[in-house]
Amino acid sequence: MSGVALTVAAVEAGYGDVQVLWGVDLDVGPGEIVCVIGSNGAGKTTLLRTISGVVRARAGRIAFGETDLTAATPADVLGAGIAHVPEGRRLFAAMSVEDNLKMGAFLRRDQAGIREDLERVYQYFPKLHERRRQDAGTLSGGEQQMCAVGRGIMSAPRLLMIDELSLGLAPQIVEQLSEILLRIRGDGLSILVVEQDVNAALELADRGFVVDRGRITLHGDTETLQTDPQVREAYLGMA
Amino acid sequence: MIYLQILANGLALGGLYACIAVGFSLVWGVLNVINLLHGSMIVLGSYIALFAYTTFGIHPFLTVPIAGGIVFALTYALQRGIINRVIAAPVLMTLTLTFGLDLIFNNAMLTAFKADYRKLILENPLGSWSFSGVTLPVDRIAAMALAMLLTLMLFRLLKDSRIGRAIVAVRMDRDAAALMGVDVMKINAITFGIGGFMAGAAGCLLSIIFPISPLNSTVYLGKSFVVCVLGGLGSVPGAIVGGLALGIIESFGAFFLGPEHAVTLAFSLLIVFLIVRPTGLLGKKGYE
Repeated sequence: MSGVALTVAAVEAGYGDVQVLWGVDLDVGPGEIVCVIGSNGAGKTTLLRTISGVVRARAGRIAFGETDLTAATPADVLGAGIAHVPEGRRLFAAMSVEDNLKMGAFLRRDQAGIREDLERVYQYFPKLHERRRQDAGTLSGGEQQMCAVGRGIMSAPRLLMIDELSLGLAPQIVEQLSEILLRIRGDGLSILVVEQDVNAALELADRGFVVDRGRITLHGDTETLQTDPQVREAYLGMA
Repeated sequence: MIYLQILANGLALGGLYACIAVGFSLVWGVLNVINLLHGSMIVLGSYIALFAYTTFGIHPFLTVPIAGGIVFALTYALQRGIINRVIAAPVLMTLTLTFGLDLIFNNAMLTAFKADYRKLILENPLGSWSFSGVTLPVDRIAAMALAMLLTLMLFRLLKDSRIGRAIVAVRMDRDAAALMGVDVMKINAITFGIGGFMAGAAGCLLSIIFPISPLNSTVYLGKSFVVCVLGGLGSVPGAIVGGLALGIIESFGAFFLGPEHAVTLAFSLLIVFLIVRPTGLLGKKGYE
């Protein structure tokens, strides 16, 4: 449905003198769910921040379909159809849930479309509708993540990038969120999810990339990764 | 009845204090910049009102949008061109920068306008209202009303406009705001410009009440600090509450302790608040 693929080719990026990414290649096809797994500090968050234009790529190329996003600003990336749900949700704590969702549509001018998408988000997450007048800071962790994902959807993206979906959440909540993400994908979005919880990520995704110290060390479909001895030992704690 | 008179004086003064402080508070809250230029921008607004009146005969109330506009343009350009370059640096860096800029501006004004205190004397003052023993000079009340109107307009702007929502979002989380597509650097400059507009407008309104001199800039800056600490930082209602509180306290203080102690009282209060309730009367995390 979306028909646009994200391509990340040989990307290098970092902060000041510290280089974090060393030639990362990654792609997300239309309608795919792709996960990036790896330990803390491997460069997963930096990768998403580089794609969304918060961190500037020093080398390599990032493209979404025909649109080159290598030197794009966050607003350009969002306009091209990529939304970034940041690590730790980063909601606007003293704004209501509904105002948070509307902030997601900040760049859009199509009022009718915004209302439609707001309804859509409330259908995915009825809890958010219940709490729409409440300050986002008063939500539980799971509800905050729902609000953050909903805020991402409000920009009408074709690709949704989620940093640490499961962080600090109970397993049942993660499962609920995963189910809704599958529905969202069914409605035509591709999803790129970054996870420390390797099990949850491999359950959800079609394909996975393993990052270690700023490099992709392994990639493949999730069944292959689940049985890969290296992955089992390093990330799943199984021999 | 004398107490009612003092209360009325305090409220009239307090409305102006709110207007003086609200721009300072907004810039501090949103940009995390302590703008030491603020006092000089207020004085600049007063001079614009003075020259508009003496040269063209334009009433200071009508000069408000002009002075506000001029100071907006100046502060917007300063933020865009200079302050944005160090906006991510620790607060001491931006503090030092605005301190330096203030030295330049204040001394430029001293050179241009001299340090003499000048007075804008309206040829046709509106007289005063008197009822049940309380006398209210109409010009002062009108200035206070205009100050409150401007402050409320700013409140509506932040609440209801697209730009206002962006400003509030940047105030709460600048990284998340950037991910929503907000151009943070532009919002910084607009916010700084709005702070300038409010300063210039307040300067106009003050010109019919207080003598005008570049030396007054530190007094206005000090009052802005006190209002922010009293009311709570970065919110419009906080500035209104803080401004009115300061106005009332000063006018009662002047009555009981003598006018020479009004400022001392204000700053003693500042210290007490910093110790007892550093978030201010309306302070809460986030905004409004």
